[in-house]
Amino acid sequence: MMEDKKKTNWVLTIVLILGTLTVFFPLYMAFIIAFKQPSEMTNDVAGALAFPQKWSFENFRQAMEVTDFWRSLGNSLLITLATIVLAILIHSIAGYVIGRGMAHKKSFRFIYLYIVSGMFVPFSILMMPLVKQTAQMGLGNRAGVILLYLVFYMPMNVLLYTGYLKNIPIALEEAADIDGASTWKMYWKIVFPMMTPMHATVAILTALGTWNDVMTPLVIMSGTGQNTLPLAQLNFQTQFGTNYNLAFASYILALIPILIFYIICQKQILNGVANGAVKG
Amino acid sequence: MKHKMSNRDKTFWAVIVPVLVLFFAFNTLPMIKGVIYSFTNYRGYGSYDFVGLRNYLDLFTDARVGKSYLFTFKYAITGTVLVNVLSLVMALGLNSRIRFKSALRGIYFVPNILGGLVIGYIFSFIFTYILPAVGTTFHIGFLENSILASETYAWVGVLIVGVWQAVAMNTIIYISGLQTVPQEVYEASMLDGASKWKEFWSITFPLVLPFVTINLVLSTKNFLMVFDQIMSLTKGGPAQSTESISYLIYRNGMDGGQFGFQSANAVIFFLVIVLISVGQMTIMNKKEEQL
Amino acid sequence: MSERKTAKKLALLLIGGIGAVSLTGCGQENTDGRIEVELVSYKPEAVDAFEEIAAAFNETHDKIRLKVDSPNEAMTILKTRFIREDYPDIVAIGGDINYSNFLDADLFLDISDLAEVGMVKQAYLDMEKELELVPKEGVYALPYAANAAGILYNREMFEEHGWEVPDTWDEFTQLCAQIESEGILPVYFGFKDTWTCLAPWNALAVGLADSDTCNQVNLGETTFQEAYRETAEKIRQLLDYAEPNPYAYSYNDACTAFARGQAAMYPIGSYAIPQIKSVNPDMQIDSFAFPANQAKEDNVLNSGIDLHFSVLKNTEKKDAVYEVLRFLYQDETVQIYLDHQGGIACKEGEFEIPAELEGMREYIESGRMADFQDHHYPSEMSVDAMIQTFLLDQGEDSVDTFLMRFDKDWKRYNRDLIRKVQQYQKEMEGTR
Repeated sequence: MMEDKKKTNWVLTIVLILGTLTVFFPLYMAFIIAFKQPSEMTNDVAGALAFPQKWSFENFRQAMEVTDFWRSLGNSLLITLATIVLAILIHSIAGYVIGRGMAHKKSFRFIYLYIVSGMFVPFSILMMPLVKQTAQMGLGNRAGVILLYLVFYMPMNVLLYTGYLKNIPIALEEAADIDGASTWKMYWKIVFPMMTPMHATVAILTALGTWNDVMTPLVIMSGTGQNTLPLAQLNFQTQFGTNYNLAFASYILALIPILIFYIICQKQILNGVANGAVKG
Repeated sequence: MKHKMSNRDKTFWAVIVPVLVLFFAFNTLPMIKGVIYSFTNYRGYGSYDFVGLRNYLDLFTDARVGKSYLFTFKYAITGTVLVNVLSLVMALGLNSRIRFKSALRGIYFVPNILGGLVIGYIFSFIFTYILPAVGTTFHIGFLENSILASETYAWVGVLIVGVWQAVAMNTIIYISGLQTVPQEVYEASMLDGASKWKEFWSITFPLVLPFVTINLVLSTKNFLMVFDQIMSLTKGGPAQSTESISYLIYRNGMDGGQFGFQSANAVIFFLVIVLISVGQMTIMNKKEEQL
Repeated sequence: MSERKTAKKLALLLIGGIGAVSLTGCGQENTDGRIEVELVSYKPEAVDAFEEIAAAFNETHDKIRLKVDSPNEAMTILKTRFIREDYPDIVAIGGDINYSNFLDADLFLDISDLAEVGMVKQAYLDMEKELELVPKEGVYALPYAANAAGILYNREMFEEHGWEVPDTWDEFTQLCAQIESEGILPVYFGFKDTWTCLAPWNALAVGLADSDTCNQVNLGETTFQEAYRETAEKIRQLLDYAEPNPYAYSYNDACTAFARGQAAMYPIGSYAIPQIKSVNPDMQIDSFAFPANQAKEDNVLNSGIDLHFSVLKNTEKKDAVYEVLRFLYQDETVQIYLDHQGGIACKEGEFEIPAELEGMREYIESGRMADFQDHHYPSEMSVDAMIQTFLLDQGEDSVDTFLMRFDKDWKRYNRDLIRKVQQYQKEMEGTR
């Protein structure tokens, strides 16, 4: 080992490559089921693993129609993007204020614990009261869902931002203070840009959670005629007459946007997640 | 303390107050309401009465609730241990001298970006058809029947899917932990002629211990709140053997008419989660200090 | 910049951001002066039928517009909307425990002044009455379509082997043995979806227990240990004739297996027929009522209200709503629905019974029907899962264990209801 540090461990490489089958196999199954017809669904190994008889996009076309794909996609994008932008703006300054504040003040230490402890509140206890409350406030819509996400992700994001703040020397701020800049201005000019790596992390973690979430939009937006992608997938889970093939086609449709996004931004995403762990 | 609030302090309060109001209004307030409902026989609509502590008393004598706690703990403990061992091993593998390192890391993270519901449906299909078919073809007794149909093993199926998804995230966290270990530390130990095994336990592990804490707390919490997998794989069956606490609260609280009772369940569940998380952090912090 | 401005800015940021999003969500309402009647249907699979009906209605009415919603997870959505106090005008739901609870929560309007109520077959009006947790004055539901549950069978297979449709329990078990001896699986179950356990359970129970069993228990007149013993014993016997490990397969799987001829019979309701036909469109399916008893005369068909209309009390457009109900109850409209969904019309008149239910015709025409027992079970009690647990239990005394639990849990989950019912009973006795 010592002799050659550059030597590749090929055995391990091969083991790890074979291991990726555990990731690919379920996706492969979903993919071929999405292309098959109900009459092609058989109960034996060879039949289940086989390619569909013909590669027709008919299932996808139907699934898109039933789920009103483009509009659902638009809603999902809108909700996720709006949540990310607002989370970065609001959670970062909240994290900054709490992080700096709790260095000297007990009250901020308390606020920190109060907000971070929200991480342990199970959604189930909030769900029913929230449904009533958002409806009364006229927030039983996409705006309400975004607002709720901002609250649900606040504990984690505040934790991340306050954690990251420890890496930013306070001296910079003090220097700016001497120059007479207001704290508000100083924050957006100096601290906010310096927290960019954490913004990426927050954006990614928040996006992964909101994009796949079913429950919140289901209980808050139901009956408004607006769907998100996962919500639209519920179209196929009706008790009577689920159609595996159409359902899987719609799952694949729902997976594709995030997969594409992941393939493009893979590096940033992995770094972002890692960052959350190291600095958080 | 200074007699007058500085500009900085004022800005701080001006920022934090609206944030607190928001957080209170959509987190604490509904929680308080939930606690209030837990003392009623509310169905979610229509009229209701206050029933005092009846829901809480019932909770402790309800066999189904008890069973769901047992299942959830069994699941969370095994899941947490498995995920942490597996992802630490994976992280060591992915952090060693291999080829295609970043591609492999990228692939192993994929399960984490996919929605739990969809994954559950895909695996449900595999457990029901593919594995039994494989079992029959190769005469592997225990595979011949779908494990999801077995009262004794269905939870293992749920566990496999839960672990499959969770390992992705925890591996990345461990990898970043391993990267904080400076290379010189290893070089020093190699000079000492320490074995790989010894090197791991005496050098690597203590250094990544803070990451073990993060992962333990995160995965315990996530496993305790398991919902999507149950919903898509077993719906709590067979014979109610895989009903998790979250699933039961949702199922009977929202869909059934037990909103009041399940609110009480949720209150207790919240306390349990807080206790466990705080306990874990205290213990791990002590460990970290010792090292 | 002063701190007050800071706060303002942050507040603006919040409100502005959220406001911008909510703005895009509004501005879609456009009723061109017509009164809009909103109907929410709990059957997403009937969306085509309702679309056709709504189109026909809107073509012939220029003052009223009928808007039909068939959301998925409809029950959760309806409950959520009730929590929000955001009521539609009409709900199209089944005659089950949810209806009972909604009615008990006083959500529905008395529609006894609607002439169409007089056109409903009496059997279904009686069924609706039995769904009232505490008897109420008035009519709160307009029954539309019913389904029937018993046994579906593969007619071609039966003809090919010369098997006869059984009339009694003994004939049925003999038939199963016969089928098995010819190397074919007699019945298929999809018990992975626990609710399917209720299909044979209900079909057996209607023949073996009184239709108001649950109410009798609430009044303390009987116990489930007494009333359900035979049902429990017989459902267990069915397992001998089913595929090994039926808990591995879902409703979908069972439909597929039956459609492919992997089993001769499938104990399920008529609602499964469209699903089965989607796998095998040419399949010849027929059905018979569950032969639960030793004498054919004692058998009863399990038929329940699959769809009825209830009007929300809060509606401000009663006249328009009634106009919609009148339209829905025209023969032609009923026929549109039946053509799409199959099933049995609840309206008196000459409606065709689907070919697949031919074997149940004599029961339907003579009204020898009883409602699904589970329409009276509280959903949070999860009787379906209890039945599954019981069927999985290999112990000697599994029947006792199960029925004792049934009685015990029943009291727990229906505590408030039992109190109400008994109180009502006392009041009635007092007034007499």
